[in-house]
Amino acid sequence: MFKKFFLLALVMFFPTASFAIEEVQVDSTKEAAVQKRLNDVGISILNSNKIDGRIVFVYDKTEVKEKLKLDKTLLDREVVVYGYDYKFVEDDNELAAFLSRRIAEGYRSYPGLFKGRLNSLKIKAAPKKYQIIFDKIGLDYMVRAGYNPVAMITLVNKSHPQKRGDSLTNNVTSKRLAKMYEHICIKYPYYLVNNEYEKNKSYQNFLLTSVNNRKMLEEKLKTRSRKELNYE
Amino acid sequence: MNKNFNFIAVLCCIIFVLNTSSFAFCAENADLSLNKEQALIKDEIVENILKERTVQKPYVHLNYNYKSTIKIPVRISAKERIKSENDVYVGQVIEFEAENDVFYKGKLKIKKGDTIKAKVGTIITSGMNGIPASIIFEDFEIAGLSRGQISNSLEVFGQDRSLIVFPLKWALTILPPTGSLTNFIMGGHVKIKQGKTFTIHYCPEWL
Repeated sequence: MFKKFFLLALVMFFPTASFAIEEVQVDSTKEAAVQKRLNDVGISILNSNKIDGRIVFVYDKTEVKEKLKLDKTLLDREVVVYGYDYKFVEDDNELAAFLSRRIAEGYRSYPGLFKGRLNSLKIKAAPKKYQIIFDKIGLDYMVRAGYNPVAMITLVNKSHPQKRGDSLTNNVTSKRLAKMYEHICIKYPYYLVNNEYEKNKSYQNFLLTSVNNRKMLEEKLKTRSRKELNYE
Repeated sequence: MNKNFNFIAVLCCIIFVLNTSSFAFCAENADLSLNKEQALIKDEIVENILKERTVQKPYVHLNYNYKSTIKIPVRISAKERIKSENDVYVGQVIEFEAENDVFYKGKLKIKKGDTIKAKVGTIITSGMNGIPASIIFEDFEIAGLSRGQISNSLEVFGQDRSLIVFPLKWALTILPPTGSLTNFIMGGHVKIKQGKTFTIHYCPEWL
């Protein structure tokens, strides 16, 4: 009887244990592949833009950033890509969009007084203002590294919720998207005329939801106005 | 004995099927590109404005080699006065003038008085808490030199009042809400006088 139970336990245990080991191995191989992809894209952005400050990229598969965790971009010059953010990334252009924005933030903490601490303090004091600035600088970094800047629109459009009204720390996503679109329109029209993302559902959704903002921009471009637009 | 063997064999089969079935779920890759039949929303800005202009592919810097440490400073001065960041627009070409001769391996690379063109890349307006405005100049063009050999950008700031604002804010926290009032101190505007000098770098061995 004892033998029977022993055999049964053995039979039950073996397959599950082997599958568990296999699962861990598959997980770590996947993580290593993601980490390699982050390094490839991130470092090519750093090199193409001659960024002379060290910034590293880390993949953290946890779904959402814990609230008590400090943002390491300014403190450690480390770009952490969480599983939540990574699941929205479809191609290298979109990954470059995510990373270049964060690189712009991290690199801003290098120059300035007290080894860049004053600059970091300014970013923390005016996050809303710098959010738009880093979007724009991120777009510039992407272009110089050979990535398509329109991917930043598709990525932000599908990954950032439209919170009600402007808060003290964040811009409404539609406003951010409109500013990005304006920046591409003025500096990199080539990517809109030869638009790889024209058939992308997320880009089409952006076009659908940004009609009013684009009308304002169209008017600005036609009249060659320099006025800052107040996007919705 | 035979009965026992059969029992174990059946059990093995059940456990094997249960274990493998859990791996059978695989995520399908969501295809976010539109079918050809679906109508596309046309972008009027592209159709009516951008397609009528001649657009060039922007500069892309993919070939680089940073093994050389030679970095020669180039002093440049503004040819025209810029009163504030509101005076310029993104994409505007600004002319600078070389303030010194630059030689490399006995050859004159940049002559004093040469015009160096740059574009206004990003304009950052002044903000609360004494954060200054700034203008980022980029795409420096120097005849005979490739863009990869010259500094990527030059950022010129207005007066930074945050150095006064932050200590004042902290000192006034004991008298609420006076500390918060310092939020309303705005940073300085960018003012570039004609002839004001800046330094960019020329790296002759870089690609």
